[in-house]
Amino acid sequence: MTAIVAEDVSRAYGDTVAVDGVSLSVAEGEVFGLVGPNGAGKTTLVRALVGTTDAEGRAELFGQDPRAVARERVGLLPQSFDPPARLTARELLAYYASLYDDHRPVDRVLDDVGMAGDADTHYENLSGGQQRRTCVATALVNDPDLLVLDEPTTGIDPAGRRQLWDLLSTRAEAGTTVLVTTHYMEEAQRLADRVGLLTDGSLLAVDTPDRLVAEHGGDALLRVQLTGDDGGEATPTGLPDLGYPVERRDGRLTVRGVPPEAVGSVADRLSAAGVGYDSLAWTEPDLEDVYLELTGQRVVKGEAVAEEAVV
Amino acid sequence: MSRLRRVRGEFVAASRSFLRRRTAVFFTFVFPFLIVLIFGVLVGTQPTGGGLFAEPVGWYVPGYLAVVVLFTPLSRVGSEVARHREGNRFEKLATTPLSRVEWLLAGTLVNVVVIGAAGLFLLALLVGLTGVSPPLSPALLLLVPFVVLGVALFCGVGALLGALADSQDGVIAASNTVALPLLFLSETFVPRSLLPAWLPTELSPLTYFSRGVRAVTYTGEGTGVGDPGAMLAVLAVLAAVTLAVGARALPTTD
Repeated sequence: MTAIVAEDVSRAYGDTVAVDGVSLSVAEGEVFGLVGPNGAGKTTLVRALVGTTDAEGRAELFGQDPRAVARERVGLLPQSFDPPARLTARELLAYYASLYDDHRPVDRVLDDVGMAGDADTHYENLSGGQQRRTCVATALVNDPDLLVLDEPTTGIDPAGRRQLWDLLSTRAEAGTTVLVTTHYMEEAQRLADRVGLLTDGSLLAVDTPDRLVAEHGGDALLRVQLTGDDGGEATPTGLPDLGYPVERRDGRLTVRGVPPEAVGSVADRLSAAGVGYDSLAWTEPDLEDVYLELTGQRVVKGEAVAEEAVV
Repeated sequence: MSRLRRVRGEFVAASRSFLRRRTAVFFTFVFPFLIVLIFGVLVGTQPTGGGLFAEPVGWYVPGYLAVVVLFTPLSRVGSEVARHREGNRFEKLATTPLSRVEWLLAGTLVNVVVIGAAGLFLLALLVGLTGVSPPLSPALLLLVPFVVLGVALFCGVGALLGALADSQDGVIAASNTVALPLLFLSETFVPRSLLPAWLPTELSPLTYFSRGVRAVTYTGEGTGVGDPGAMLAVLAVLAAVTLAVGARALPTTD
């Protein structure tokens, strides 16, 4: 069964179109990542899907209007959620638990999000990451069928973020549908069964991370940091034929489309030609490359492409 | 039972939040003390006929009570609405079983308890510092429903102000703007005879509060007294209306 359906959903604030004709569906038990930069329309789309904004088009949760679906089935963490500051983490969770007929044991949920040790600390005295984990817990306490998390890991340190990823993966394995928004591409790639890339209120693409990367991610890259204080200018300008397209910029070579098993042979050819290098780094394309490609902002990990092709 | 449990949960959380804001608690009780000290003791009604007030001191008991029944719910509920909106708490609550009416009801109960305590404190101050002596009769117990309904009424108005204002600062400014004219044009501190004849004091809900409270706390001569039962009935209807309108105005969407 389908957990979320959106058909041609749009939302404008005055002349500003926040969401523009978005259609998507999310199956029950699926983890769906909504990815895009700040201002892409993620939060507005989430609000349209859960019924906390008035949008055009059709949105349904579990086959019903979002505002008609049983509240127990949905757990929401809004963006920039700021609960009462002078309640402890345990009191906060007990408060949200009290709003439901059935709920999970508060202490177990606190344990799930790694807050058991600080459960009696006032929210305002928790670190940013602990606050965010407590907020996530408020969305988990009713044991929802659909978990909607709007940028849940913002402000959480890497360790906390991974802990949260594991928690969400566990929930998903238990059958909970998860809709998560993020501007961390790595997070979406790690967590989501499918990803929707959003920009300027429109969905650019929806697919599994692997398929998106395969289709739009471009080539694997081998970066060669040339030897020398002068950034490698002393090395021969006539590079050997490496068998792959090469770009040279700021004392670095970028070799495109090198499979991992060919890295050694490329290194051998450079050495044989007397080209010294300090380091080699091989990277696969990822969702970030997909996003930049689809939005026409393609760069090679922070550098402009192909201004100075040598070979 | 579910509804009761939700209201109780919201009440407990809101009470804790308020009681842990020590400054707010402190000034909630300092406010009536200052009012009584300034108007009841320093200015007061002089036996010789001097002073700011023309009526006997007991006539003003509804005015002193009105100060806490009016100002505190307006500013507290209004600010709470603004805080909830700024922290996206209403967005979260919109996806829980807690309804807007339940939320406001719980907030009203918190205010009833807080303002009930402040009202008792104020009455004790009046008795101790100004010599007011309300008649000790069963009718005095009607103060409880008067305070409860008065608080509920202005909690509804506070919710409306909170929903209309765009910030906590805006709520404070709006609540003061609403409360000040109501306080002085509702037969609380200024007798009807001193107000322009054309001024329809009956349009102010606080008028029914002051007339009713005066009926059960004041035995002397003077105007501004109404049948307690009728005044309670009017307040009950007005409280139901403002709570319904206030709850309806609470945001559930962005």
